[in-house]
Amino acid sequence: MLNTYMELVRIRFLMMLAYRVKYYSGIIIYSLNIGVYYFLWMAIYGENSSLNGTTPVQMATYVAVAWMSRAFYFNNLDREIAAEIRDGTVAIQLIRPYHYILVKCFQGLGEGIFRLLLFSAPGLFLVSLVFPIQLPTGVEDWGWFVLSLVFAFVINSQVNVITGLMAFFIMNNTGLIRGKRVLVDLLSGLLIPIHLFPEWAGKILAFLPFQGISYMPSTILSRGLPTSEIIQFLGIQMLWLILLLIPIQLLWMTARRRLIVQGG
Amino acid sequence: MRSIEAKGLTKDFKVYQSRSGLKGAFRDLLNRKYRMIRAVDHINLSIEQGEIVGYIGENGAGKSTTIKMLTGILEPTSGTLQVNGYDPHREREQFVRTIGVVFGQRSQLWWDIAVRESFRLLKKLYRIPDDSYRQHLDRLVEVLEIGSFLDQPVRKLSLGQRMRCELAAALLHRPRLLFLDEPTIGLDVLVKENIRHFLKQVNKEYGTTILLTTHDLSDIEALCSRVVMLDQGKIIYDGDLERLRSQWGDGRRLILELKDEISLSALNERSHGLALRWEGEGTRFVAHMENGTGVSDVLSRLVPAVTVREMKIEEATTEDIVRRIYREGITHHA
Amino acid sequence: MFYVRLFFHYWMQYLKIRMEYRSDFFVQLVTDLMFQGVNLVFIIVVFSHTADLSGWSREEVIFIYGYFLVPFSLFASFFNLWDFNERYIIKGELDRVLTRPAHSLFQVILETMTPESLSGGITGLLVMGWAGWKMGLELSWYDPLLFILFVLGGGAIYAGIYILLTSISLFSDSKTDIQPIMFNVGNYGRYPVDVYNKVIRTVLTWVIPFAFVGFYPASFFLNEERWMTLALLTPVVGLVWLYLGIKVWNWGIRNYRGAGN
Ligand SMILES: Nc1ncnc2c1ncn2[C@@H]1O[C@H](COP(=O)(O)OP(=O)(O)OP(=O)(O)O)[C@@H](O)[C@H]1O
Ligand SMILES: [Mg+2]
Repeated sequence: MLNTYMELVRIRFLMMLAYRVKYYSGIIIYSLNIGVYYFLWMAIYGENSSLNGTTPVQMATYVAVAWMSRAFYFNNLDREIAAEIRDGTVAIQLIRPYHYILVKCFQGLGEGIFRLLLFSAPGLFLVSLVFPIQLPTGVEDWGWFVLSLVFAFVINSQVNVITGLMAFFIMNNTGLIRGKRVLVDLLSGLLIPIHLFPEWAGKILAFLPFQGISYMPSTILSRGLPTSEIIQFLGIQMLWLILLLIPIQLLWMTARRRLIVQGG
Repeated sequence: MRSIEAKGLTKDFKVYQSRSGLKGAFRDLLNRKYRMIRAVDHINLSIEQGEIVGYIGENGAGKSTTIKMLTGILEPTSGTLQVNGYDPHREREQFVRTIGVVFGQRSQLWWDIAVRESFRLLKKLYRIPDDSYRQHLDRLVEVLEIGSFLDQPVRKLSLGQRMRCELAAALLHRPRLLFLDEPTIGLDVLVKENIRHFLKQVNKEYGTTILLTTHDLSDIEALCSRVVMLDQGKIIYDGDLERLRSQWGDGRRLILELKDEISLSALNERSHGLALRWEGEGTRFVAHMENGTGVSDVLSRLVPAVTVREMKIEEATTEDIVRRIYREGITHHA
Repeated sequence: MFYVRLFFHYWMQYLKIRMEYRSDFFVQLVTDLMFQGVNLVFIIVVFSHTADLSGWSREEVIFIYGYFLVPFSLFASFFNLWDFNERYIIKGELDRVLTRPAHSLFQVILETMTPESLSGGITGLLVMGWAGWKMGLELSWYDPLLFILFVLGGGAIYAGIYILLTSISLFSDSKTDIQPIMFNVGNYGRYPVDVYNKVIRTVLTWVIPFAFVGFYPASFFLNEERWMTLALLTPVVGLVWLYLGIKVWNWGIRNYRGAGN
């Protein structure tokens, strides 16, 4: 069983390899984005040496890490699922001997591994040459970061699956998908680290799953938190990871029932 | 004025070859390997106003490429070209007003909007005056029988319905010259019939020159007084259909069923002096008659000695002839 | 005159198609608004930590962003050339365009326009209006005229650059991702150039002049003397780029190889 899924990961990886040229330009685009936000943040600091306890170097590092992490966790599962629902291929997937959602997630994982190795890692390396950022050297910090990044990947995929499955209920959810992307970039702390939001907004965001997508892993790597806080972060991510299974399961069950009633 | 006047018309395509692998991709960035394909090779073509000319040739012979140069889509690599008195590519915008184009393989209409709206857009593009537009459209709608689906978007039409609309669209501005690239591809017999009939009528009524490419030779037989045959970018035949038949046709075949058995040598002896060749044995024989040999001559030689029970005369079809030319090449015979 | 009439005819056709898919239309409006909203939220949050951004106040930065939205919406509506390669070269629609008696680029623009993106311009005007009112900005009689000139100039810069990039497809049908890259460079023009270092500033002014789309002209209305000459150059830069773009396009059409079989 597991073999089947690992095969999916492998195939997706090879597929991405065929389109690798796309990722060279991807690195440029992400670097350009890092550039804009780097300069903006540096201008915000001006003469200040700290904003809410974050130094300019930490901020620069945060920007670089957050965008390059996005290169890893970002995927098109939402669009793919929505498209397959609209053109009816989902019904066929239902009779296959595997779980549709799991298949999608493993495909996403294949893509993610590809992006990590050929996009995020070299991208971060390149960016560290151009911008004055400071990455930790300890194995431990990187270990925590990688773990948190994997959680981020899963949470983001879950959010994508939920948006994608909405296509069962909203005929045209491309708008929903686009809107979700814009919002996730803001609410996940990619554009502004969550501790720099106004206090009331920060409190609301603390009750949402999006902080686990960008803010938590990026903070772990850029600010050097004490272990207890890191573990707290990972705990929150894990909690969301489990909680988000519930809406997915509910959506999927309702959708299945619908599919069976309608006869696909 | 001639409709089309081309001298030494040539089109080369540069075809890039990409190297494999990552290293190859980088080397491709700096200098790319390519080779030249000569799709059309020094064509001389002269077509008078009012002619219907069939343009035939194997796949990849260069027919579509020629049409694209004649319609101003592609700039020729070399040669001189005058169509309706214009240089098609250089004076494109004025020139295309005088021609109509139909590509059977892809739509000339706007995919998403109703046929009627497409026509209206064309009216604006070609600046057709109101009254002349209405009159002409009514006539086209009637003859092509497209009235019932004018309000549907093009993407919802069947192939045959679409092709008839394409024809109407190409003729809305009353062009003097009509280009048709495989207009009957994929159509059923009735629609083909309708379209051929319509084209003939347009040619007769308005004196429209028509140049069409096709792989269906019955189109040519039904429509064209003149055929131009292309092979690997070169014209290998230009003249009327009859001459092509008589020149390259294998002549006729006379198939005989005799009452009594007879030997091949006996037959040969009887037809001695006639240009033909016998084939067969027992009571069934085939006479391959070269051009100029009459059936009556053969029969008159045979009749005294043998009794003919049944007889059939077969002529090579245009398709047979063209197939032979494609296969053997024209030089072989000339 | 002919082109103006043609323009309106295409516009009507577009609206008819759009009305069939009304929900798409509203969804598009809402997501556009959301996108602009997120950018404004960014500016507002940032200014809760600082009083100025390289010498520019919150209202001024918001004003610049609002201004940027106006020429940008012009560009987004009429130069929607993102899938030109796919649709016109590979699927061969350009063959059809070339058999019609109007300029090929004009036809392509008319067939791909999405006028609903103009709503971004309205948002921009509102944002500018609000910021200007907060600052007590005063208008001279010639300001609206210059505004129109600058907006057209900024739109022309974007248009010229994208026409030029799109023309690449006419020479070679292999895919390039240079358009999305350029799009992200364009985002640099929404903020004061003082924020960037010298190299980037020079690039944004003289190489890929996106600073003329948003920042320079906007600073003119903020009565900033430092960039006055550059601001007044906006229409000129726009004309130069548009001219370049169209030249390269026409050159490309001569090189066009026809849809592959
Ligand atoms: N855009 C192009 N780039 C490179 N080569 C081309 C291009 N267009 C055509 N060719 C080549 O030119 C030759 C002639 O092609 P053309 O399409 O004119 O043939 P055709 O006679 O219309 O064939 P068919 O009967 O299949 O339509 C072919 O070898 C083709 O591969
Ligand atoms: Mg062809």
